[in-house]
Amino acid sequence: MPKTPVFEVKDLRFTYRKSSIEAVAGISFTVHEGEVFGLLGPSGAGKSTTQKILTKLYTDYQGDIQYLGKDLSSYSNDYYEDIGVGFELPVHFSKLTGMENMKFFSELYKSRADIEPLMKMVGLHEDKDRLVGEYSKGMKMRLNFVRALLNNPKVLFLDEVTNGLDPKNARIIKDAIRAFKENGGTVFLSTHLMNDVEELCDRVAFIRRGEIVEIATPRELKIKHGRREVKVEYFNNGKTDEATFELDGIGDNEDFTKLLKEKTIETIHSGETSMDEIFIAVTGEEIDRGDDVDA
Amino acid sequence: MHNFLPLFKGEIQRLVKYKILQIALLVTVMWLAILFLIGEESVAEFVPLFIFMDATLMTVMLVGANLFYEKQENTLKTLLITPSGFAALMMSKFLSAIVLSFQSAAVISLFAYFIFGVSVSFGWLFIFVALITFMHTALGFVLTVFAKDFTGLLALLIAYMFFFAFPTIFYALGVFGETAELWLMFSPTHASMLLIEFSYGLDVRTVLIPIGAIYLVLVGAALTKWIVVPKYVETAVRE
Repeated sequence: MPKTPVFEVKDLRFTYRKSSIEAVAGISFTVHEGEVFGLLGPSGAGKSTTQKILTKLYTDYQGDIQYLGKDLSSYSNDYYEDIGVGFELPVHFSKLTGMENMKFFSELYKSRADIEPLMKMVGLHEDKDRLVGEYSKGMKMRLNFVRALLNNPKVLFLDEVTNGLDPKNARIIKDAIRAFKENGGTVFLSTHLMNDVEELCDRVAFIRRGEIVEIATPRELKIKHGRREVKVEYFNNGKTDEATFELDGIGDNEDFTKLLKEKTIETIHSGETSMDEIFIAVTGEEIDRGDDVDA
Repeated sequence: MHNFLPLFKGEIQRLVKYKILQIALLVTVMWLAILFLIGEESVAEFVPLFIFMDATLMTVMLVGANLFYEKQENTLKTLLITPSGFAALMMSKFLSAIVLSFQSAAVISLFAYFIFGVSVSFGWLFIFVALITFMHTALGFVLTVFAKDFTGLLALLIAYMFFFAFPTIFYALGVFGETAELWLMFSPTHASMLLIEFSYGLDVRTVLIPIGAIYLVLVGAALTKWIVVPKYVETAVRE
């Protein structure tokens, strides 16, 4: 059974008032219900602009955006009852405690999630009565995530959601995203962290200079951009040597089978390309490891 | 507007948490101390001046401080992506500024009334303080949007006060004739002062009172519609 489209974007275009160049130059894509859709690209490619359009922060766009089969522009502020947004930067009142912040925002929605379990889920429960100004960046990012879930949203927009988190806390957030998806939620993820993409995204779109240059699943991308080869590292005369073989017909490759029989094998890898390499290959640019301040 | 109450409650909570209310109270106490030192003879002339200062200058500064905090903490944008609606958001900010002006006007007036017997029409005072604060809150938003930081805001505010205060001072010194006062009503500073003086029963031309009140509402509404709303959204989204 085909999945219901949540967003259907056709020929979306957007130009900033003081610019003559299109920040988003005619992009089209569909995001389905229960899908984690990643939008990837270098700084200034148009990721954040696209997200701002989909969250109705920019309304003077051209093209067609359907949300659950209805024109996005026809939705009133009730649209925000449906979506949760996790911003890249902390967005809280620093002189209020974590709990006071969450209570304030929660009261603005009709549907309200129970805040305490959310705080527990991201490991902030013990610090809920501390001022946000005393939180570390990682704690603020986790609070951002709780903020995004306060209204039991159908769709989550997440911008660099694990940026600045240590591996343990990044894992907590990624597990929470997966749980959200498993409960039928849809996620629109914008990131430059390829590890997140590999772990979370069902499909990804690469955007470059306002245009989508590739949309596929991470697996499809790996197959398309991967090298069809097998690399073997083996122990030879007191040192490690390596040999590379064509993947096609490897079962009949005598050199390969001989190596396996005669040498002590240390590692065997297929020629999978990393998402980092795919990013560079598709967008033609290095990954920005710093804070992404996309246009 | 269904979210107005939680937004307003949040504004008041933040006025306390960010110590803006406490600072406003401190300034009020300072005015009371000055009134006490001035003594009975001149106090009636200074009471309207201090209420005017709170509803105009202090309003702009406190709105500015509040807004700079929000800019710094990126909270403007996150409020825009709630179902609240922009009108409720603006209304809560205007009303919280009016609450601050009311506390100051009430404390100063009651002090002057009970200690020095300075009488005032509380009805007119609160109506006019609300109008003056509305207009100056809008002005505070405008200046904050164009100022780089709080120092920049103070510089713009001083420039504004000089521009609008000097004609009033020259008028008071008799440099201009009486007919010039109609033109002076175009100065929000002059119009504001006149409305407060009227509340205290001072000798003002009553025909100018409705003109001043309507003028402040129109200026406040125009600033809000054509500058505050578009610039606020632009600033918030750019964060």
